[in-house]
Amino acid sequence: MAGGYRRRWVGCPRSGPAGGRRGWETTLTDTGASVDDAYLVQRAQEGYVDAYEELVSRHGLRVYRTALRMLGNHHDAEDIAQDALITGWHRLEQFRGQSAFSTWMYRIVTRLALNRLQRTKKTESIDLLGDVADEETAHEHAERNLAVDAVSQAIGELPVPQRIVVVLHHFEGLSYAEIATITQSTVPAVRSHLFRARRTLALKLGGWR
Amino acid sequence: MTDDSASDDSATDSSATDDSADAVRRRLQPAEATLPCGRRVDETLEQAAEGGADDLDDHQSTCPHCQAALLEFSALWQPVRDLVAAPVTAPADLADRVMRRVHQMVTDTWFTLQLTELGSLKIAARIVARIARDAARQVPGVRVALGRSTASRLVRLVERATFSHRHPDAAVGVLGRTAAVELAVAVQYGEPVHDIAREVQQRVILQLRESIGLESVTVNVTVDDVVQ
Repeated sequence: MAGGYRRRWVGCPRSGPAGGRRGWETTLTDTGASVDDAYLVQRAQEGYVDAYEELVSRHGLRVYRTALRMLGNHHDAEDIAQDALITGWHRLEQFRGQSAFSTWMYRIVTRLALNRLQRTKKTESIDLLGDVADEETAHEHAERNLAVDAVSQAIGELPVPQRIVVVLHHFEGLSYAEIATITQSTVPAVRSHLFRARRTLALKLGGWR
Repeated sequence: MTDDSASDDSATDSSATDDSADAVRRRLQPAEATLPCGRRVDETLEQAAEGGADDLDDHQSTCPHCQAALLEFSALWQPVRDLVAAPVTAPADLADRVMRRVHQMVTDTWFTLQLTELGSLKIAARIVARIARDAARQVPGVRVALGRSTASRLVRLVERATFSHRHPDAAVGVLGRTAAVELAVAVQYGEPVHDIAREVQQRVILQLRESIGLESVTVNVTVDDVVQ
């Protein structure tokens, strides 16, 4: 197979109804997942900044998305995501590879977001929608926006531990065990928080309907 | 947990057949731990939230309480699913800002210095490393190439050597037109490693000479992984 490994930040303007947003995304376009995170972590620990840049490329969006869901606004999410990724480099020597790098980064970003929440006590919620499908009518779009706004607001009003488990499980797709590792808790505790969070959310969404 | 025998009895209760959405929502109140059939509200909600409202077990396939609750909970949860599915894009410059800060944290004082008739040219070592890395990645069989710009032992040795032999006119003698580049390379499994490593050295040297004007380039290639 030919080499030509290419990895580039994609700072492309996103067209579409939402318009104006720019984004970057993970690419390892022509080689797929050519090396795993463990390899990159080891190289980064040896001082290869390139390797960490690749890790940022792979995990940056995930870190930002988690911060966004927890904090509810893009401004704070950007701050926290940046801090988390820089903290990752700063503490990389302490990472022993006992968990996945993604798990480690989740722990960092949730910890930083938690600190920010405790400092600001913010529960505001804003539009977290991305692009809207072209075929969607304006009315449907408005309806969906209202519903999604209601979810965003309801999540923002959850007690912080419940918010963390909802974001990590329902939005990031992590298992109860992974969340327990990240939050340094137990699976029953995670499940209990999720039960309560789901009830609260369902009640609020039921009231909205 | 679930009491299936109780649920079978209650399933025939006529009140179950007109189980309204309001009744289901009332069951979400904390005081309500179970559906009339005995199934736990939390577990039913969990099933719906996990997208399993259509995966009915033996009890649920005949229980109107469970079916109504699953239907209603699933509808209640739809806006959450919509939000989960909504795409999120990170700010375009987030990675750049992160990496700028990271580079600031790395000891990165190694420059190539060239004196011309117009003045001096200084190029940061990380730029040299980046050009080298990109050149290495163009070599067939190379899957990953990482360049190191930190002050490694080798770089320090070269730096000291060139410092002592620097041009007398050099105001700030560092490396002049000499560079030592370290590359860690992962190659495609089955490809001739030695040939690839040689090709990497040749291409990187050529590229650095052409793009930066370096005259003496040492390229140390470490092949430290083979990728399937």
